Amino acid sequence: MSRLRLPLLSSASTTLRRRRSPRSSYSSGAVITSSSASHHTPPLKLQSPLFLRPLSHSASPSALLSFRRWAESLARSSAADLTFDGGPSSSELIREISWLLQDATSQDGDTFLLRTDLEDLYRLWRQRIEERRPFQYIVGCQHWRDLVLAVSEGVLIPRPETEEIVNLAARVEGLQDGMWADLGTGSGAIAIAIARMLGENGKVVATDLSEMAVEVAQFNVGRYKLENKVEIRQGSWFEPLQDLQGKLSGLVSNPPYIPSSHIHGLQAEVGRHEPSLALDGGENGTDHLLRLCEGSISSLKPGGFFAFETNGDKQSEQIVDFMTTQWSNSFHDIKIEADFAGIKRFVTGFRR
Amino acid sequence: MAFFKLLSTIYSKAAPFPDKIPTGMKPIIRLFYSSIYFGNQISINSSEKLKSGFSPIHKPTGLQKSSYFFVVSWTRWFSSSEDAVLSDPKTSDGMTVDDIVSKKWPILDENDGDWKSHAASIAQSIQLIKKRLQWRKMMVRSEQLSMALEKPDLWNDPIYASRVSREHGRLMGKMREVNGFEQELLELIDLIKLAREENDVELELESISAMLNMRKKAKEKELKALLAGENDPCSCYVEVQAGAGGTESMDWASMVLNMYISWAKRRGYDVMIVDEMHGEIAGIKHATIKVDGEFSFGFAKAEVGVHRLVRISPFDTGKRRHTSFAAVAVIPILGNETSCFQIKESDLRIERFRASGAGGQHVNTTESAVRIVHIPTGISATCQNERSQHQNKAAAMSVLQSRLDQLEMARQAQMNSEHTRSLTDISWGNQIRTYVLHPYRMVKDLRTNYEVSDPDSVLGGDLDGFILSFLSCALDNLEEKDSST
Repeated sequence: MSRLRLPLLSSASTTLRRRRSPRSSYSSGAVITSSSASHHTPPLKLQSPLFLRPLSHSASPSALLSFRRWAESLARSSAADLTFDGGPSSSELIREISWLLQDATSQDGDTFLLRTDLEDLYRLWRQRIEERRPFQYIVGCQHWRDLVLAVSEGVLIPRPETEEIVNLAARVEGLQDGMWADLGTGSGAIAIAIARMLGENGKVVATDLSEMAVEVAQFNVGRYKLENKVEIRQGSWFEPLQDLQGKLSGLVSNPPYIPSSHIHGLQAEVGRHEPSLALDGGENGTDHLLRLCEGSISSLKPGGFFAFETNGDKQSEQIVDFMTTQWSNSFHDIKIEADFAGIKRFVTGFRR
Repeated sequence: MAFFKLLSTIYSKAAPFPDKIPTGMKPIIRLFYSSIYFGNQISINSSEKLKSGFSPIHKPTGLQKSSYFFVVSWTRWFSSSEDAVLSDPKTSDGMTVDDIVSKKWPILDENDGDWKSHAASIAQSIQLIKKRLQWRKMMVRSEQLSMALEKPDLWNDPIYASRVSREHGRLMGKMREVNGFEQELLELIDLIKLAREENDVELELESISAMLNMRKKAKEKELKALLAGENDPCSCYVEVQAGAGGTESMDWASMVLNMYISWAKRRGYDVMIVDEMHGEIAGIKHATIKVDGEFSFGFAKAEVGVHRLVRISPFDTGKRRHTSFAAVAVIPILGNETSCFQIKESDLRIERFRASGAGGQHVNTTESAVRIVHIPTGISATCQNERSQHQNKAAAMSVLQSRLDQLEMARQAQMNSEHTRSLTDISWGNQIRTYVLHPYRMVKDLRTNYEVSDPDSVLGGDLDGFILSFLSCALDNLEEKDSST
């Protein structure tokens, strides 16, 4: 169903000021600048998601219709060139056009109000087709589970497979009021979804090395009014969690797991636009996963739960192998869970 | 009881009256009235407890206005039968609504202020409403239900019990509404006669204007009576499926889909595309939309069947005339309480459409379609228009629930032989309408012979004429069948 259901814009945006960005390469839309950025680092610019921008433009129905026709014919004529590396099909692109218009417009009688000008819509759609810019970066958001998360270049777009990590965490009993951690949180997707199902005393600490990710995650946490439940910390993996050694009830992560040699052959939307920091898992793809396993020994409290996403099948088996041979004293109930495509995608278990 | 009902109905009718009370009489009436009112309060309360029927809530200002009406005929109100719902209301000189119709008073334009014309028109409407509601059947049914409700072991099966009491409440509500309307008409006739005897011009004018008001309302009620089915108030899914014939018929299917989207928007319904499968070149193979709003099922159910298009196909370079078909199905969304089919989680197979390959971080796609199969029945539902997989799954699940509910209803109807007619309505059905764009222009309904010479307006969503003519036609046929058995 194509109607949007969104939480109201939270008060978090009041702590961020809006201003026009002269340097924004992609759009003339409003830009949110973090006012909390420190003095010595230049302020990061997080593009406000399209659907949250003010309705400050307008267009006639016929102008929008001709945009739509143009966009659809561009989609139909180019789709054949896009699908060779796993890119979108024409019907997916046509659906994206509907969603783009859904995010960008609001009908008011006979005229349509727009959140960006019509010219920008043409520019955005050309980027989608010609530069293969991911749709989620075009509209600045990704719908994931029942959440609508702001995303932006420099932050991994949360994948539908990863929705399952939240279900895995939800199945665990008795840890709902403890401290959880989401390492390499990116947009904050897993952290926010878990925080929403934790008990009254449950909390999530989410870390990310990328300053951009920290900012986007903070914005999303604010939009869902979870400032008291989710704390975002900047740093590599366990570094920012020194104070929580042995105290974590749960640990989840979707770390970079693609082997370095595969990065070049990725679908253009991923390889050309998403941050390699969030994708590249080193030679075998397991560099970060192994660090996570090792770190969880000292971070999880006895009985604590972990769930990691992997590159699938072989990599999951490798991790399980490693944990059962090297650290058999530290973990129990180690399991592999499949994703919806039947790929052995997740490794879960408990700290002894 | 009936008296208080009269007061409140007349008061509600009196609202548009100029805010003045018949002067001169006021003080006396008020005195008289209040003594009666308070004198009777207790007995009314006790009868309330016994009957648990209509509950009178009055505003004092309403009492003032109504007081005169009351004095006129209070004796009759108290002598009239307690179970007014089930007996035919009469005027003080014993005239019923049927009598009024049989007098064949000429029905003039609304603006001609002749009360007999108003009365005849309203009486005709009441007859039509009763016919549409299948009044006699309704009375029998409500009696059966009342008996069922009185059985002491009823609540041993709470699901059955709540179904019985819900249906009973629904029928009684409808019957009370019609009876109230009937009674209101007869009381106004009494008032007019009385006003004439007393030469009270003001009262006569007020009563006639109240009658005119009723006449307008009666037209709405006629329409509402077309939608008296149990599921008519529900929202619904509308499904459109292209017939054989490639691009031309897929284009036709998308025209039909757009016709329903426009129709629904005109009526103020929310429309959402749940599932849509595009054709390779143009149009759609099939689509499911959700039409959200009161009575959307009641109206849309009139559209079930095969729709036929005749035109010169824009996809044929030879410019030949083509005939193509699109099938329409309509499924009510029952809501949690009334869903009759219990789905077991273990009976479901959930499939996601994802590109084959590594998945996960390797792939960025906005495709997150979910298909849910109910293994025991083989019925499935797909949703790919939500923007997250999670929500596609929730949406597909609710489509599946409605489809299984429909199956269950069909099964129950089959067991209940009196409903066999609805079986054909539920499946995709027969050809119901032809849309000709060439060599002449016309849309014709094959069930009712209703036709329109402007196909563009129909394809633009102007369907109400077709829908209403079918609904009234369908009920007339039903009545004929009843009388023949």
